[in-house]
Amino acid sequence: MLNLFQLVLQIAVILVAARIVGFLFQKIKQPQVMGEMVAGILLGPSLLGWLAPGVSAALFPPASLSYLNALSQVGLVVFMFVVGLALNPSELHGYGHAAVLTSHVSIAAPFCLGSLTALYLYPRLSDDGVTFTHFALFMGAAMSITAFPVLARILSERGLVRSRMGTLAIACAAVDDVTGWCILAYIVVLVRVAHAARPAWVTIAGSLVYVCIMLFVVRRMLPALERAFRKRDHLSDDLLAVIVVLVLASALATEWLGIHLLFGAFLMGAIMPKSPEFTRYLLHKFESVTVVLLLPLFFAYTGLRTRIGVGGGRAIWFYSAIVIVVAITGKLGGSMFAARLAGMPWREAAALGILMNTRGLMELVILNIGLDIGVISPAMFSIMVLMALVTTFMTTPLLEWVYPTRLFTAQVDEIHKNVA
Amino acid sequence: MVGLPLLGLLGILDAGRGIPAPLSIGGEWTLEFNSVLYCGNDPAGLPPTALNISQSGTEALMTLNDGHATTREATVNGTALTAKSLTATISGKPGARTLEGKMQFDGCAPVAFRAVRQAPKKGGE
Repeated sequence: MLNLFQLVLQIAVILVAARIVGFLFQKIKQPQVMGEMVAGILLGPSLLGWLAPGVSAALFPPASLSYLNALSQVGLVVFMFVVGLALNPSELHGYGHAAVLTSHVSIAAPFCLGSLTALYLYPRLSDDGVTFTHFALFMGAAMSITAFPVLARILSERGLVRSRMGTLAIACAAVDDVTGWCILAYIVVLVRVAHAARPAWVTIAGSLVYVCIMLFVVRRMLPALERAFRKRDHLSDDLLAVIVVLVLASALATEWLGIHLLFGAFLMGAIMPKSPEFTRYLLHKFESVTVVLLLPLFFAYTGLRTRIGVGGGRAIWFYSAIVIVVAITGKLGGSMFAARLAGMPWREAAALGILMNTRGLMELVILNIGLDIGVISPAMFSIMVLMALVTTFMTTPLLEWVYPTRLFTAQVDEIHKNVA
Repeated sequence: MVGLPLLGLLGILDAGRGIPAPLSIGGEWTLEFNSVLYCGNDPAGLPPTALNISQSGTEALMTLNDGHATTREATVNGTALTAKSLTATISGKPGARTLEGKMQFDGCAPVAFRAVRQAPKKGGE
């Protein structure tokens, strides 16, 4: 039964922790979201449950977590809509050879290395309830993801959004995100079909029909919303409610089909009209509540499922080190060499690799899906969460080291001088 | 650019197909005791109890829903499941797995049990 007092207390504690740790991380020049992710981990068994198990058990009893999970899932649905909304396919055109090569290699290299690592990790951290194919494909997909929203925020904070390297990174991350989600959708379908009573053809045919309806029917109706926005410079509450209902309907459709509700929310955002004013308006409307209230709940829920350093002994730290090295080699190394091959100078190529290595909360989203469908074990989940934290944390200091702000500022000044 | 990684991936998937993994025991179980429990001289009947197992490879964390949420770390080795004061044999296919063995509570004689998995937690359904 719902204990409202407990739920509200949990939300309050999570929000306070997220703001405090987020603030502290900002002080060390990390993005706020990095601090919020760490706050979630600190509230789980990795710290609070380890230091004060009594407090942890009283504050987050297992029976109460389903409500927290439900709220965080609603937050993720809105967040994935926002991610899709911020994605503008037209921005991907015009980056030529460098973008195509870098984005392909930045997916293929970590995917292959992740699958290769699965050969070692499968007999140690999985079980015979999961096939090697599912485990290896999931490992590949989880290794190849880039956190498009976190990357955009880091670039924006450093004023690199309009630089050649910044625009290229955003273009590649967008391609990676879309490809990563398509691969993940395929894996989720594979795993669910293997365990579901529903025949595979229903899911496959249903998914094709759903995508066609979204692209050729719903997408053509959406410009009416944009026209309504242009007339009054805002959308009425009724029209905003229409958008929310469309997002929920799309999410429900993909969940019913056996893919996952987050794919539906993402696709709805991706097919929305992309005029800058309209996108900015919707982002402003949907982002605040999601980022301030609902995402920290997701981070806390993730943290409560993560047991970094709890159980498993030294072997777990060894496996973690392997996963982190493989993840960095595949993503950072792969992107860097591809960009260099495409003709970028070493410094810019390295900076691009560092940016593409940011996994952030998109990785956490994917890992939670993997744990929910049972394709990764709790220990593998914790290891991958640690990898996501490390790769996100290292982005800002490494970027500052390889591509210092003063260097970028000097380049911009030189360009301005030449123009003058 | 696409063909080579795809070939590599297919090779990896093919190589991994024969790799054995520990037997799956994760999920919700119903534990039934086959004999009465002797703690001292008085026998006591034990009702069927829910057991949750969280498994990561050969390591497992067993949580008994006995009112105290007793937890035990266990190890899967082949078809053997061993933990402090517990030994059991795993049998059956992943979808219909059973555990049979002996468990000992503090200050009591060992008691035989049989556990049936409710539904393996795979597929997220």
